[in-house]
Amino acid sequence: MMKSTEVLTLEAVSKSFPATLRGGEPIQILEGVSLSLNRSTSIAITGRSGSGKSTLLQISAGLLSADSGSIRFEGKEITKLDDEHLSRLRSRSMGFIFQSSLLLDDFTALENVQISAMIAGSSEKEASRKSLAMLELVGMQDRLGHTSDQLSGGERQRVAIARALVNEPSLIFADEPTGSLDERNAALVEDLLFSLVAEREVALMLITHNLAFASRCNTVYQLHNRNVEVRS
Amino acid sequence: MKQTLLHLLVLRKLGYKGSRAAKKRIIFNLILITLVVSALIFAQIFVVSMSRGIADKYALLGNGHLQIHEASLGSLSEKEGVLDVQLVAQSYALIYSPEGNKMVRLKGVEEGYFNNARTSQITLLDGVPKESTTLEQVLLSTTLARELQVGIGDRVALMLVSDDGIRPQFCVVGNLYDSGYQELDANLAFCDYDLIHRLFKGSEETYYELLVAQGSIESLKQDFKAEGYAVTSWDEENFTVATNLNTSRQAVLGVMVAVAMLCGYFISELSRELVEDDKHQIAMLTLLGARHSLIRNVYFNTVMIVTVLSILGGTLLGVLLSSNLSPLLSAVADRSIPSLSYYLLEFTVVYPLGDILTIVLVLLLVSVFSVQFSLRRVKRIEPLSCTHFD
Repeated sequence: MMKSTEVLTLEAVSKSFPATLRGGEPIQILEGVSLSLNRSTSIAITGRSGSGKSTLLQISAGLLSADSGSIRFEGKEITKLDDEHLSRLRSRSMGFIFQSSLLLDDFTALENVQISAMIAGSSEKEASRKSLAMLELVGMQDRLGHTSDQLSGGERQRVAIARALVNEPSLIFADEPTGSLDERNAALVEDLLFSLVAEREVALMLITHNLAFASRCNTVYQLHNRNVEVRS
Repeated sequence: MKQTLLHLLVLRKLGYKGSRAAKKRIIFNLILITLVVSALIFAQIFVVSMSRGIADKYALLGNGHLQIHEASLGSLSEKEGVLDVQLVAQSYALIYSPEGNKMVRLKGVEEGYFNNARTSQITLLDGVPKESTTLEQVLLSTTLARELQVGIGDRVALMLVSDDGIRPQFCVVGNLYDSGYQELDANLAFCDYDLIHRLFKGSEETYYELLVAQGSIESLKQDFKAEGYAVTSWDEENFTVATNLNTSRQAVLGVMVAVAMLCGYFISELSRELVEDDKHQIAMLTLLGARHSLIRNVYFNTVMIVTVLSILGGTLLGVLLSSNLSPLLSAVADRSIPSLSYYLLEFTVVYPLGDILTIVLVLLLVSVFSVQFSLRRVKRIEPLSCTHFD
């Protein structure tokens, strides 16, 4: 039997937030969102600030629960998974890249990547080997021993990409990965991300305001009126 | 591999290759807990040693470890553990000097009474009577001599109450002793065994005073009882003192245990502080898929390593300080503090292992529970809290 290439499927996903901490009329953020993402493909979600792009990413990654609808990751319904299974899924099958690189402060570039591999179950030796290879791939082989505060924004983001890919995940969630970088570094990170995603046959869900960046994906969705529509 | 990851994270939390702030915090807490533990251990050793010292004074100078009373006097059978047997006669007398008077317990003892064990408990002042005299000699304590304002060679009068009425018996202060415990010294004077008999003519109490090996008191007492002797131990003879010493020791241990519990709670504050400061990192690790149990273990191990090291360091420091009490006590003795009469300023240091172990175990147990309890907050840190969203 041929293995399904479908990585992520959202069906009729809705999400609302209470208007205030004390409750009140809820604010509907997403309503009946459906989309799917296959291996080796990429989608971009664009939209105005506050339209719910990041909420959609968080729900897709199981970081936030949906009010209703179904979210399947590699065929598994993640809305029914407990914390432990979700943690395992995140560590082995998902990679995350955010606007600010979110590296662990007290750790070196190598350790940051290594820790991610070890959380996913690699031995120290294996994690070290994989991390070194991945950091070399993103051009950070000379900065292995540098901690987060000794790296530039672009370098930090490259370490974050290495960390997201070290466990050979099925899907990378990238939330404005170039949002805090200058033009030159942003272009470098974009190129790196797309080349690695293509090379490793990983699916990519990209959240961005940058339409040029988004247009490099296979499909571009616009989040509008609480739902997604394919952008022409 | 989870163990390796745990080691890596714990080492970094402990400050190894970590930030200077992390190192500072760990060292600060390590020092603080060490100081508290050392103070607890020191105080407990001090109190136990002093109460043991006071008990020794009462046993060696006051009544002996065991007393076998007159009614059952006969030839005492030899027993293992009995170190010294002395025949003693005692009574009470009002002692007069031109400057004051005091009711004292007058012990008549034979030559040889002040053996090594007893002389180790007292300091005898050097001095000779000012003039040769045929008067009987008494041995007073420096405390009593100060109160009566007499010195070696001075005359005092013992006011004796008998059927014939009250009559004075003049004596000369032959020497002065100081046991270091003024409460005991103030009421105890010694004289010759025969003198007591001559003065009190049968109204005195005569008994055997036994010194025995520590730990054999109760068993020897039972043995003598079984042989028909009327025997009492030093704590029965000095019930109030013995009870007070015991109660004080238990009360102090109770206080130390309470402080150890508070210290345990303080240790949980360290874990709370670490988690609070590391919220971002914890969220990050959770996002990467680290389980809550792993993160909890990182903080638990970090805090417990600090705690165990502090306890070991604190215990060693406490023992070390208490083994060098002499300079401290000398400094205290140099100050004329009235309440010092209730304390000993010279005593042998004993290490109450049971008490030390109790304090250490309570501290360890309370910290384990309170740290585990405070680490529940790890679960409440959402992975999302490390990100910035639209």
